[in-house]
Amino acid sequence: MSEFITVLQERQSTLLQAIWEHLQLSIIALLIAILIAVPLGLLLTRTRKVAEPIIGFTAVLQTIPSLAILAFLIPFLGIGTKPAVVALIVYALLPILRNTYTGVKEVDPALKEAATGMGMSSFRRLSRVELPLAMPVIMAGIRTSMVLIVGTTTIAALIGAGGLGELILLGIDRGGNLNLILLGAIPAALLAIILDVILRLVESTSAKSGFRSLATILIVSLLIVTTPFVFNRERQPDLVVGGKIGAEPAILMSMYKLLIEDETDLYVKTEPNLGKTDFVFEALKTGDIDIYPEFTGTAINTFLGEQANSNNPQEVYQQAKKGMKEQYNMAFLQPMEFNNTYAVATTQEIADQYGLETIGDLKSVQDELVAGFTLEFKDRQDGYQGMKEVYNLNLNIETMEAGVRQQAIKNGDVDIIDAYATEGYMIEYNLKVLDDPKNLFPPYQGAPLLLQQTVDQYPELKDILNQLGGQITKRQMQEMNYKVDSEGQEPITVARNYLRDNGFLE
Amino acid sequence: MIEFENVSKVYPEGTKAVKDMSFHVEKGELLALIGPSGCGKTTSMKMINRLIEPTSGTIKIHNKDIREYKISELRWNIGYVLQQIALFPHMTIEENIAVVPEMKKWKKQKVSQRIDELMNMVGLDPETYKKRVPSELSGGQQQRVGVVRALAADPDIILMDEPFSSLDPISREQLQQDIQQLQKEIQKTIVFVTHDIDEALSLGDRVCLMKEGEIVQLSTPQDLILNPINDFVKSFVGERKSPWQTAVDVMVDQSKAHIIHENDTPPPKGLYIIEDNEHLYKGAIQDGQPITLPTLSNGLHLRNATDVFEKNNTTLLPVVKGERLIGTLSYRDIVIYLQEQTKIENGVVQQ
Repeated sequence: MSEFITVLQERQSTLLQAIWEHLQLSIIALLIAILIAVPLGLLLTRTRKVAEPIIGFTAVLQTIPSLAILAFLIPFLGIGTKPAVVALIVYALLPILRNTYTGVKEVDPALKEAATGMGMSSFRRLSRVELPLAMPVIMAGIRTSMVLIVGTTTIAALIGAGGLGELILLGIDRGGNLNLILLGAIPAALLAIILDVILRLVESTSAKSGFRSLATILIVSLLIVTTPFVFNRERQPDLVVGGKIGAEPAILMSMYKLLIEDETDLYVKTEPNLGKTDFVFEALKTGDIDIYPEFTGTAINTFLGEQANSNNPQEVYQQAKKGMKEQYNMAFLQPMEFNNTYAVATTQEIADQYGLETIGDLKSVQDELVAGFTLEFKDRQDGYQGMKEVYNLNLNIETMEAGVRQQAIKNGDVDIIDAYATEGYMIEYNLKVLDDPKNLFPPYQGAPLLLQQTVDQYPELKDILNQLGGQITKRQMQEMNYKVDSEGQEPITVARNYLRDNGFLE
Repeated sequence: MIEFENVSKVYPEGTKAVKDMSFHVEKGELLALIGPSGCGKTTSMKMINRLIEPTSGTIKIHNKDIREYKISELRWNIGYVLQQIALFPHMTIEENIAVVPEMKKWKKQKVSQRIDELMNMVGLDPETYKKRVPSELSGGQQQRVGVVRALAADPDIILMDEPFSSLDPISREQLQQDIQQLQKEIQKTIVFVTHDIDEALSLGDRVCLMKEGEIVQLSTPQDLILNPINDFVKSFVGERKSPWQTAVDVMVDQSKAHIIHENDTPPPKGLYIIEDNEHLYKGAIQDGQPITLPTLSNGLHLRNATDVFEKNNTTLLPVVKGERLIGTLSYRDIVIYLQEQTKIENGVVQQ
């Protein structure tokens, strides 16, 4: 508990910022969802034949996992708030639409007949009789959507939209740091409850007139949403550096930012925790970010769909650089020293107990030990699929999130994990990396990836970023990751210290 | 006022609800539509305000096809009282009443005057009730508001769809009397659907008895009871009740043998009822001396009427419909009626 309070105090300003972003995203999405779903629902009550198919369609949208919607939207909308808001709207449509339709449909037929018999037009009947009477049901739908949105907004952090999800993701990534997770989850829950209470108040105070209570919600939320644009005119960044989720990308991004801002007048913004590889790469393609650190091995395997022609790091880099230039017109600057290849690791105790030295040694214990792999690793050719073929293994596998793996091996729930060679917890948990004598895993060296046009526009970037080429050893990277993941230091601080200590900065 | 010319209604699934119906409703008349369920009475009524469109035939109001009126204006001019009452639960009583006047763009002042006037007319104190919502009123009070709402914009025609069937017996009786009273005051043309023959007989100037989409007999209540054209009418009107439950207007002596004009010299002997030119009841005179006698409402059941006779220690009472004197009733009339109703079969007296 006291630890939680410490974390809370440390991250107070981050938290406030996150809450604000969360609120803004949720309200914009809810607002637009209301503006779409309520009129549509009302329209459907007048054209009943198409009502069920349309409501059914929104129900289908609801079944798509939120992460899938986000991934689907990136090629069209890029990263950041835009796709996040769209995804949230998609989620919020069904409850509002269905409740609007049902609410109006279920108004006592005698009242509708009375209204019609008294000579009300269809619109007047809707606005004077049906909408006010359906209001409690519509409001219930809006409240359901609101809770859905506030919950789902946590996922939006994956594509750089910010919000409380950032804290939660950070917590999961840092080996299930419970305090960070709670710091994101508790305010999210409180936000949902508070908004629900507000909506209920609006509903009960003006249950009488349908349009009035709707209008109140709309105006108040519009105010909340637009205030930041009036008061907070942030400087537009010249360059945006992005990065995947995790400590290492965050540190490297910070180095890029520090170096560029030190030597030029450009203002650089960082967009950390952008989720999985595909998200970040799409963001680079669409220009939402300008630079991000990528691995040579990943470029070859994932983007170019090739196999590494060699296990020589330099040759692998040349293959990646050439391919990225030809296929995507991207510049892949010089890689750093460390090789963050995939590794298969176990605890020192288990290694001693079974005499495990190489990946091939696992063959003899494959029925006794349990492996905890990420879903991505399990499916990759340069991952478990390759292990099966090259080392003829058939392991018991449990798939899990990257951040959960380390906790699992620490607790003894699993015995073997996939890991990145540079990860900080290798030191903390005293893990042993099994040798890969058959060179299944190609070298993974980190290097800045940019669009060629960015390099053309800012030619000085090349020299600035290439300063890191051949720098940073595996040990240094592990230590820096450890400082962020386990000691709770800020990535920017760790990055600045490294750059100072090694003479890149004054 | 309202004319049906060969009107038929066939529902899409093939039900023939109304078959080639022709009739007319006079201005100021209350026509009661009655018949077993599914006879087409409600369908017929709803075709008047075009809630249901006829399949064929023409309905005219003021000699003009109702399809030639603008539908909203047609409906604004036809008050509508529903069986379910159907006051809008989210509006206050005054807002409910003001619905049609507002659509007709009446001035606020005029609307509020009208609300007070009508509420007073049905015995609801405007100050007490107009700011309340429907759920705060009893069923009987709600339907009074329902009637007021139909009257609000001063329509020529009022349609009533079993308006009192959802009320308790006491409220129902009160409202029936109120409607009779109102009808005399406001002289609206009313089409009244009911399944209660007593209600039809006591309220209707004429009663239209329907069966399977067709009119079986359309005539005055007395005629329906005294001259049923077939067994269906006889059984529908008569068999369901004892003669003691019959409304007194069936047995009223309309001969005027005991009625004198207020300007006439009263005979020195005997009991006489006095009326004026308007056929309004002005009092009674016995052996040359004015006396006070209560009136019998024409819808009153015979059993209750005899109580009035006893209480007033009289042998003759005036019978009124609304305020109009329609005749007199004496013990002699009652005995004759009861005798007519009693058959003797195989030497046994049957009721």
